Amino acid sequence: MKKLISVAATAAVVAIALSGCSGSAGSSSDQANGKVALTFWHGYTEADGGVLDSIVNDFNASQSNITISTQTKTWSVIDDTLLPALSSKNGPDIVAMTSDRLPVYAQKKALVNLDDFYAQDSSNTKALKPEAVNMETVSGKKYGVPSGFVPLSVIYNKTLFAQAGITTFPTTWDQWVADAKKLTVDSNGDGTPEQYGLALPDHATVGNGIWPSLFEGNGGSVTSSDGTQATVNSQANIDTLTYWAGAIQKDKISPTGLDGIGADKLFTAGKAAMEVGGPWMAGVATTSNIDYGLAAIPAGPKAQVASAIGISLAVTAQTDATKQVAAEKFLAYFNDKTTAVKWSLGSGWPPLRTDISSADVNSNATVASLTEIAPNTVALLPGVVDSADVLTAVDTATQKAVAGGDPKQLLDDAQTSIQQALKG
Amino acid sequence: MTTFGQPKALTLSGTHTRRRGDPMRWAYFAGFLIVTLALMLPVIIIVLTAFKPASEVNAYPPTLLPHQWTLDNFAAIFSQLPFGRLLGNSFAFAGGVTIFALVFDSLAAYALARLDFRGSRVLLIVIVASLMIPFQATLIPIYQLVSQLGWVNTFAGLIAPRAADAFGIFFLRQFFVSLPRDLDNAARIDGASEWRVFRSVVLPNAVPALLTLGIFTFVNNWNDLLWPLVFTTDQNMGTVTSGLTLLTGPGGIIPQGVMMAGALVAVLPLAIMFLLVQRRFIESVASTGLK
Amino acid sequence: MTTARLQRTRPFRPHGQLGGRTPLNGTFKRRATIVGFLAPALVILAAFVGWPMISALRLSFTDASGFGTPTFVGLDNYTRIFTDPEILHSMGNTAYYAVMFTPVSIAVALMLALAINSPRLPFRSFFRSTLFLPFIISLAVAAFAWSYLLDPQIGLLNYWLAAVGIHLGNVLQDPVLAMPTVVLVAVWKNFGFYMVIFLAGLQEIPTSLYEAAQLDGANGWRRFTNVTFPMLSNTMAFVVVVALIAALQAFDQIYVLTGGGPYRSTETIVMQIYQSGFKDLDLGFASALSYVLLIVTLLLSLVQFLFFGRRGEANNS
Repeated sequence: MKKLISVAATAAVVAIALSGCSGSAGSSSDQANGKVALTFWHGYTEADGGVLDSIVNDFNASQSNITISTQTKTWSVIDDTLLPALSSKNGPDIVAMTSDRLPVYAQKKALVNLDDFYAQDSSNTKALKPEAVNMETVSGKKYGVPSGFVPLSVIYNKTLFAQAGITTFPTTWDQWVADAKKLTVDSNGDGTPEQYGLALPDHATVGNGIWPSLFEGNGGSVTSSDGTQATVNSQANIDTLTYWAGAIQKDKISPTGLDGIGADKLFTAGKAAMEVGGPWMAGVATTSNIDYGLAAIPAGPKAQVASAIGISLAVTAQTDATKQVAAEKFLAYFNDKTTAVKWSLGSGWPPLRTDISSADVNSNATVASLTEIAPNTVALLPGVVDSADVLTAVDTATQKAVAGGDPKQLLDDAQTSIQQALKG
Repeated sequence: MTTFGQPKALTLSGTHTRRRGDPMRWAYFAGFLIVTLALMLPVIIIVLTAFKPASEVNAYPPTLLPHQWTLDNFAAIFSQLPFGRLLGNSFAFAGGVTIFALVFDSLAAYALARLDFRGSRVLLIVIVASLMIPFQATLIPIYQLVSQLGWVNTFAGLIAPRAADAFGIFFLRQFFVSLPRDLDNAARIDGASEWRVFRSVVLPNAVPALLTLGIFTFVNNWNDLLWPLVFTTDQNMGTVTSGLTLLTGPGGIIPQGVMMAGALVAVLPLAIMFLLVQRRFIESVASTGLK
Repeated sequence: MTTARLQRTRPFRPHGQLGGRTPLNGTFKRRATIVGFLAPALVILAAFVGWPMISALRLSFTDASGFGTPTFVGLDNYTRIFTDPEILHSMGNTAYYAVMFTPVSIAVALMLALAINSPRLPFRSFFRSTLFLPFIISLAVAAFAWSYLLDPQIGLLNYWLAAVGIHLGNVLQDPVLAMPTVVLVAVWKNFGFYMVIFLAGLQEIPTSLYEAAQLDGANGWRRFTNVTFPMLSNTMAFVVVVALIAALQAFDQIYVLTGGGPYRSTETIVMQIYQSGFKDLDLGFASALSYVLLIVTLLLSLVQFLFFGRRGEANNS
């Protein structure tokens, strides 16, 4: 026991000593001599992270008194730790977050309003895609700049397509379902296909964007464009849900009860010929030895629309005036055309500026093909603060409909829940 | 205080084996082995997945054994993460919490179990009640306090809030209360101080409980994800468990083979520790003469 | 042999003439001793548990978000809890989870502990270590293994069962089966923890008691009900309370397995607390909900203690 206590005492001394050494490493300690040190949290863990870090380094080199240090965390870790960190002003000065999270932080006054920044020509924001900037707007004010705005696209298994004799990728819903039927194989005739034409999740879809994309393809929507009214029980949406639920139930083109991650697994297992996914599925397919192709989501009766996976850079409310100016300088640098091309090529994400064409980025084939699809990309529920409850309501309706429920009744229920979520 | 030593215990088990005979014993063993293996199926999957190449992890048809064994996942762990540093941080954090908590918890539990004082029962109820608030509710106030102390990104900040915990006090108190009082009363008559009774009589008899609590505390802190993530924003302070989250790719896609390999390496110290310590459960009890 | 239990600590009287200290022998030195033993733990608990709990209580009467100055809103958060159908639904789910998880995990752990404790079992330390493994692996990894087993299309268990003509279906996405499945995984993850506590308790039981029972001709079941179970009552009281607290705070195993779905059928109170605190940034509401959970847990625990206390006493008298 004596030993144990002496160990504990030593540990206590060590702990206190350690706290003494590193406790003083505050980010603002340099401010007295005119230097500004900023911290920047982002969730780009792959090659994109390396490119972003090098952009930050270039920016630091271009500035005499601003130094930004980046910290890589995953998106979910940023979301779980940002609140405690900011509540004690230990958080980042610049933070990258997924677009569904930005409105909440903006509404709770954790982020700086960037309207004045957008008004300056030097901010390089004029050339940004308006659809992408749309996801930064909460109650009419802007709180971030887009760093990612990637359309959902269809990834397909070329081997399975060849086996089914399909040579061109479908461009309309009817062709899409017809091809999916051809690709659905129930070889033992037990009613459960061994291979599905399309892994179409009925809830928790990739970026929550599949059903909103389908709704908009038929001219419907989940909420009004300003995010104040629920519009989910329109006749167009009832038709859309009936159409796809029927394709899944009757034609068995996809299993029921599937979520986004399940769809990814099914595709990588070679048990589904197509999946709607994010651009990263290309890399996942490669490691799974699947010969894949990427294509735009086929057009619905009214339009070809793809919901976006969006990421934004925001300045947090813990910054003082000096830091805010410095952070905005970086955002302006990030929006600059040269940086934007570098970011796009390095990250594999389509460019965020309207003045960069697919020709500018054709050295990266994935980026070039995503850029072709990009014009019809829309932000998911821009400006909706309580997007979690809205999306749960949509998920409940779609999952129950695919399991055999009445689409009209389900969308009416969703309408009530969403209207409540938008008010609260 | 009567001492029933090892011989009689052996007699007891001896009667069993003599009466039932060996075949029963081995049938019992075989039955239990099957139950254990069934329960271990998920663990077996984890181990074998760590040796599968990426293309096999989600392949269909699913298989238990890899078609092609690979060590790539383990190589990836060590090349993608500063694993040595993460392991060191994990040891410092989980080990620090465990040592402090064992000392402070056992002191408090001794007072609650043995030093009868006015209000001890109320105090115990208050301590147990503090377990009933979910930590999600107190995390932010704790963080603000640690931040005011200037302990964010330090081991002090990671360890101090957990240097004593209600669970451990409650656990040891229940254990101390069931230890026969004859021993410590005898020591008190001999003029021993409470400190001496605690140190020389109660603690030696409580080794199994202390080891049990020590393992729980260590495992829980070792595997804790949110705590180190919240209290250390500096990557150099990361633990194995928080470091493994960095393997998550875009879209939340997890390279599962690599993740399983990382989990195996992360769990190895825990398994070794338990193996070493669990032998002592029996030995210590056998040697205390408390039976 | 003492049979002191939680509610019986204070009226303790030392056996016979031994240890003549009484609870109120309040000399300064004795008080200093008591304070000395309690102080280190209580200082830590007061600072890092007590104070945060008081902060949370204060927040529960405000609209705090973590940023800016919170406004006092009176009992609004509390009235919201009892008028929000989603919250009430998650309370029902939590109760359902606790009713399944608590007895099942305790029964499984106790049975395995008894089996491992039996001298008839060879290689006991092998079993003890192996069965503890689910507890020491991290949850994220365990969740992977279970979804590898349970996936309806490419899962191993489904694949094996399909070979013998059984279709398990999509258990985690079935509104009826999802909760029992989540409970099953949680029991699997945690039984090793309770098992080891029971083992420590079993080690404490004097062999003499079993010998006496054996001389009286008691069979295995009688030995369990007359010796093992009463002698485990302190351990049992502990495990029941701890398992109940864990069950009522069920969060992460459900979060990784179903995310609360399908249709919120596995959404628990702590998932709501997490959602309101960390996602909706509504700390006031999350704090209020946490306090409601604390009070419910406290009441249930007191009932449990009374129940087990009575039972234990009846068995020992």
